[in-house]
Amino acid sequence: MARILLADDSETILLLLRTRLEMEGHEVETAADGQQVVDAVRAAAAPHDILLLDAMMPRKSGIDALRELRAEGLETPALIVSAHTDGNGEDHGDLGIAAYVSKPIDFDRLFAEIAELTGEV
Amino acid sequence: MARGRRFRLSPSLANRLTVGFAIAFAILTGLAVIGVARFLQQRQDFENATARSYQREIEARNRLARGDRPAAARSTIVTQQSRRQALRDEISSETRDTALLVGAGLIAGLTGAALLFTGLISSMRRPLEDLVEASGRLAGGDLEARVEVGGLSETATLGAAFNEMAGELQRRAGERDQLDRMKDEFVLTASHELRSPLTSVQGFAELLLLEREKLDPKQAETVEVILDNTRHLVRLLNDLLDLARSDAGRLTIKPVPTDAGALVEDAVRTMRAQFDARSQRLELEVEPGLPRIEADRDRMRQVLVNLLTNANEYCPEGAGIGVKVRRREADVEIDVSDDGPGIPEEQLAHIFERFSRGDAGETQRVGGTGLGLAISRSLVELHGGAIDAESAPGEGSTFRVRLPAAASPERAEAT
Repeated sequence: MARILLADDSETILLLLRTRLEMEGHEVETAADGQQVVDAVRAAAAPHDILLLDAMMPRKSGIDALRELRAEGLETPALIVSAHTDGNGEDHGDLGIAAYVSKPIDFDRLFAEIAELTGEV
Repeated sequence: MARGRRFRLSPSLANRLTVGFAIAFAILTGLAVIGVARFLQQRQDFENATARSYQREIEARNRLARGDRPAAARSTIVTQQSRRQALRDEISSETRDTALLVGAGLIAGLTGAALLFTGLISSMRRPLEDLVEASGRLAGGDLEARVEVGGLSETATLGAAFNEMAGELQRRAGERDQLDRMKDEFVLTASHELRSPLTSVQGFAELLLLEREKLDPKQAETVEVILDNTRHLVRLLNDLLDLARSDAGRLTIKPVPTDAGALVEDAVRTMRAQFDARSQRLELEVEPGLPRIEADRDRMRQVLVNLLTNANEYCPEGAGIGVKVRRREADVEIDVSDDGPGIPEEQLAHIFERFSRGDAGETQRVGGTGLGLAISRSLVELHGGAIDAESAPGEGSTFRVRLPAAASPERAEAT
């Protein structure tokens, strides 16, 4: 089971994702914006296994947070949740994004991605 | 300013024609009057002089008869006779001159008038040709087309009116483009904003159903209705988004060489459960040795799933659906046919248009958005292919997608 850092600015989406992920047996830490993600990663005693970040959040987006963390040498695999169906229409090839998860979330696909990233296929 | 305009000396064609005609008329009439008057005057002078000459001769002859200075009288008679001869010569020469003068004047006047009119006509011609040319360009869609305003007031007015019209057309086209952009932006933003709440609704409904055993059957059914409708809403949203992208020219594909057979098999596999649920037979026939196609796999899969979903939803339980993939000249053809109720001719004609759906009764039953075929057509056309439908009531329907085969390496080298 994986330690997941989950970020979304919507409390209901956070609750939904957290509930489903915990039902799957994952350990979930949450953040409400990109700055909290950066702070949580820096404060973590042990590194997270997966970052699951919303692409668009106020103050600091998931993409910007990831860019900042990658610059610090963080290698944790990241999944980006996006309201756009085609990965925000942008290419973030240099940020090591494992996959884009579009809204509404296909949980079966999300769990499959997580299993693949944690080597528990 | 109307006053100023009225009194401005406008080089109007009508004015010029009137003035030109009046001048030509005056010159020609003047010439004719002068000519005739001069001719009559000369005639009069000639007749008077001749009459005087005869008078003198008669007087001389009377003197001769009376024997009054006969030598002088005889000399006078001879002189008068030769004088009349001289007068006759003179008059004929003078009338000839007059005739020549009048003739030359008439010719000069007519030539002048002719020159004036040709000049006016040719001064009309350039602006008119420009107008014709600019109208052609405008009609061809070049909203920048304008003419130079100047010259005669008629063509200048016409040119100014043309330019005003072209400007208005351009302004309206610009406004329309802006409205289109705003509409596209609105759809993109709205679909984006609606996605988060829909994610919650769908996610929590799914969450409830995961613990179905804690719900009584009626509650479970209610949650299923919520979920069905949410999925329908998501489908509608995705379709609207695709259409908005298509309109904005932002619907793009990333084609890669693809095995058409495998693509169709994949689409059929995802739909198998739905066909089984309605006890429909689904037969797949893939011709061996098919050339590869250049296709965006996700998008072509979307097209095929759409066609299969339509067959699944519009055909009654137990219907037969056939999918055939085969080579047709330089294309690969994918047929999705069914032995369902078929489509009436008047619906078939509009079937690829937006929100075109089966009749109202059908619409209630099936879950479509009425956008699937419109999007499918956009996607197939983006692939350089074509989609069409054949159907008749009671004889089933066939939807046919033709996609160009990918250029083989040999052929690529040859060209």
